[in-house]
Amino acid sequence: NRIEQEKALLTSTTLYIGNLSFFTAEEQIHELFSRAGDVKRIIMGLDKYRKTPCGFCFVEYYTRSDAEMAMRFVNGTRLDDRIVRTDWDAGFKEGRQYGRG
Amino acid sequence: KRRRAPYVDDEDIEERLESLIARVGEKSTKSLVGNLEDLADVLVMDLNKYKQKIIKILISCYLRMPEKLTIYSTLAGLLNKANYDAGGEFVEILVRNLKECIRSNEFENARKLVRLISDLVNCRVIIAGSLLSMFDNFVEVTLEDNIPQSRSDWYVYAVLSSLPWVGQELQEKKEAEFERVLSTIENYLGKRQKIHAPALRVWSTDIPHPQEEYLDCLWAQICQLKDKNNWRESAIMRPYLAFDDRLCDALSHSLPQIIPHSHHDDDSYPLPHIVFRMFDYTDVPEGPTLPGSHSIERYLIEEHLHYLIHQNCMERKDCAAALLSYHGKDQVPINYMIVEVVFSQLLQLPKAPYLELMYGVLLLELCKLQPGSMPQVLAQATEMLYERLDTMNASCIERLISWFSYHLSNFQLRWSWDDWSQVAVATDLDSPRPYFVREVFQKCMRLSYHKRLIEIVPGAFEPLLPVAPKPRYKFEGEGSEKLAGKVAAQELKQVICSKCSPEQAVDVLRDLPNPLTDDDGSDMSGIYNPLKIEVFVQTLLHLGAKSFSHSFAAIAKFHQVLRAFGETQDAQICILKSVYELWQDNQHMLVFLVDKLLKTQVVGCGAVANWIFSPEMSGDFTCSYVWEIMHSSIKKMNKHVQKLTKEVEDAKDRFEAAERRARDGLDEDNDDDVPSEEQIERMEEKLEEAQSEQKNLFLIIFQRFIIILTEHLAKCESEGRDHSTPWYKWVNERLQQVFLMHHEQVFKYIQTLESFLFTSDVDVHILSVFQQFCALRS
Repeated sequence: NRIEQEKALLTSTTLYIGNLSFFTAEEQIHELFSRAGDVKRIIMGLDKYRKTPCGFCFVEYYTRSDAEMAMRFVNGTRLDDRIVRTDWDAGFKEGRQYGRG
Repeated sequence: KRRRAPYVDDEDIEERLESLIARVGEKSTKSLVGNLEDLADVLVMDLNKYKQKIIKILISCYLRMPEKLTIYSTLAGLLNKANYDAGGEFVEILVRNLKECIRSNEFENARKLVRLISDLVNCRVIIAGSLLSMFDNFVEVTLEDNIPQSRSDWYVYAVLSSLPWVGQELQEKKEAEFERVLSTIENYLGKRQKIHAPALRVWSTDIPHPQEEYLDCLWAQICQLKDKNNWRESAIMRPYLAFDDRLCDALSHSLPQIIPHSHHDDDSYPLPHIVFRMFDYTDVPEGPTLPGSHSIERYLIEEHLHYLIHQNCMERKDCAAALLSYHGKDQVPINYMIVEVVFSQLLQLPKAPYLELMYGVLLLELCKLQPGSMPQVLAQATEMLYERLDTMNASCIERLISWFSYHLSNFQLRWSWDDWSQVAVATDLDSPRPYFVREVFQKCMRLSYHKRLIEIVPGAFEPLLPVAPKPRYKFEGEGSEKLAGKVAAQELKQVICSKCSPEQAVDVLRDLPNPLTDDDGSDMSGIYNPLKIEVFVQTLLHLGAKSFSHSFAAIAKFHQVLRAFGETQDAQICILKSVYELWQDNQHMLVFLVDKLLKTQVVGCGAVANWIFSPEMSGDFTCSYVWEIMHSSIKKMNKHVQKLTKEVEDAKDRFEAAERRARDGLDEDNDDDVPSEEQIERMEEKLEEAQSEQKNLFLIIFQRFIIILTEHLAKCESEGRDHSTPWYKWVNERLQQVFLMHHEQVFKYIQTLESFLFTSDVDVHILSVFQQFCALRS
């Protein structure tokens, strides 16, 4: 399972984005990450109970190379004055958008 | 002496040699000369056994790190001195590589190899006279008939760009022959066409700094190097000088004859460019002087910095560090030179060499590494670029807007805004400076949000600030009572909110009259109903207004309905108009929605192009977002064609491979992946269809451009006004942008364009844009 997980990470086109402000909207994330490539979709992380943004999201690209560009050039820069952290993600699955309440 | 670990196997050795050769010249406690000496000794010991490998590694390391040229040429010199045969083989392989690179159109690598061969004259590996014969053959290309200028340009460029290394040696040893080569070049440059130049200039004016064509500039630099400095420059580190007594009596080799192969129509030579100049010495307040624009040092250092960016651009931290630790950084104002080089790439036409975002991040890293000086230089540069917006090309202004908004967003949108506040009282808000500020605000708002932007920017900028990006839903609120679709819209909203099916939603709209037809019950088939479309699109997207995801979910759920509505191109344009009416105050949402409607095939690229040129869009026609939409639709079209092209090629390859296998009597049963001839035919038909669609798209766009520009020019002439208004400048340069941004694709249709659109009766102002484009490759 761990090997499969690692394989998935190596070919994934999805990034996990952390350290966002609770007020940062999907549109802002879209603008920033579009500068690295064509964004397929964004899934906002939501508070389990209140269903409000809680500081993380998933950004999925159409291609691996665009996602790699985002890893290189967006990770560690600022959005809404917070330093954005990006990480490879094995791919979004329903339910994963809910964070700790 | 370095002690060697016992080798395990060949692969191990190769890796070891590779690492030693790749790393020589990096910072170390020992001097470069000492390191080179040690490495040469190690290599000489291995030379008999691993000659081929060592030669291969040397060449590949050099091509990867061309700024280390003299280090590798010195090494080659030392090897040649120790082993004449190995030196000969090195030269032989180099020449073979050079020919191969030229044949396969890898001209940048070929140019690097010409330079290495030249520098080997300094290291006593190659005889000066034989290099001159090669140069002679190269410049003779300028006398060929019926070749594209880009071909002779490359051969001249390859010679000129090697001269800073070897000019002095040639002057001393072969003065007369060398003079002949130089005068051939001079004659060529004197008669060269430069029709393409205006299309590639960042600025249309030469004030304050001339923006020179690259060959003219390099020629001026070479002339100054020769006439004023007697071929002595101060930017090249030449480690071989330290080995002079060892190398001076080395045996040198003659180059074999290198005759350029004749021109082939498939050859594609590099595009020309214009040398970007932003600073001169008066801009640098203190410290070392900035080399003048015609001093060879400017060229050499710039090229070195370009190489460093090329190698490190995927690792922004390494890239910033490499640039700032350039070996001659104390002799020049390196920060200014770096900033100029970074902007020269960002603003380069037709395209920036790398992802535009990379430059933004690189500048942030540079500021982080030198917080005491870099931010000031960057601010000074920004101020200058702003001052010079009036004559800057629209494509460059656009990239500048995009970079600056990104940069500001990393610094809490803080800027000395008050210095620019005059711009808000400009009479024509379409002139470049107000345009720039207005668009920067728009982009800043996308990365931030409206309220924050309003808080930070001084009130004086009010006329340029965006309004709150809210939807304007026409079927609710004041004035909506009298609208024909009001009741249906209300009902539609209700049924959608109660999670109706697509069919139920269409049913609600069933009885809406069609304003396009008479009431006499005439045939309505084939005619779309703009009222139905408007009610449906506005209501659906208003319900999804909360975010991009909500809007997209709405489109996805009612995709069938939307596709059914958009049966004809006119209907698709009607859909786009309804979207625009709702979201005219939110450019970001418009860009997003049109993109999704294209991707989900609700609208086609042709509809988008026609919509952009429609009267309803004339108010926003110069806005940057409109062109973002236009170019992204063209790109989608291009990608589609590329994908189909590749599919056809792959299928043909597989088919041919299978045929070959069958001929050889091999595995007949392995046919699962082999396409049939009919399948390939169908794929080719699909590709042809897509190509004609692509051609059509370009035809629509260029035709509409010609129409509106011609109208403008005629109107100005009849009213006796000057035609060069800000509006005209934008539109003209947008036309240029379509050519340049998609030049590979547009070039395929150049014949069609010439015979159907850009004919001799078109106004010369418009025609010249086309001619400049054609000249890029002629």
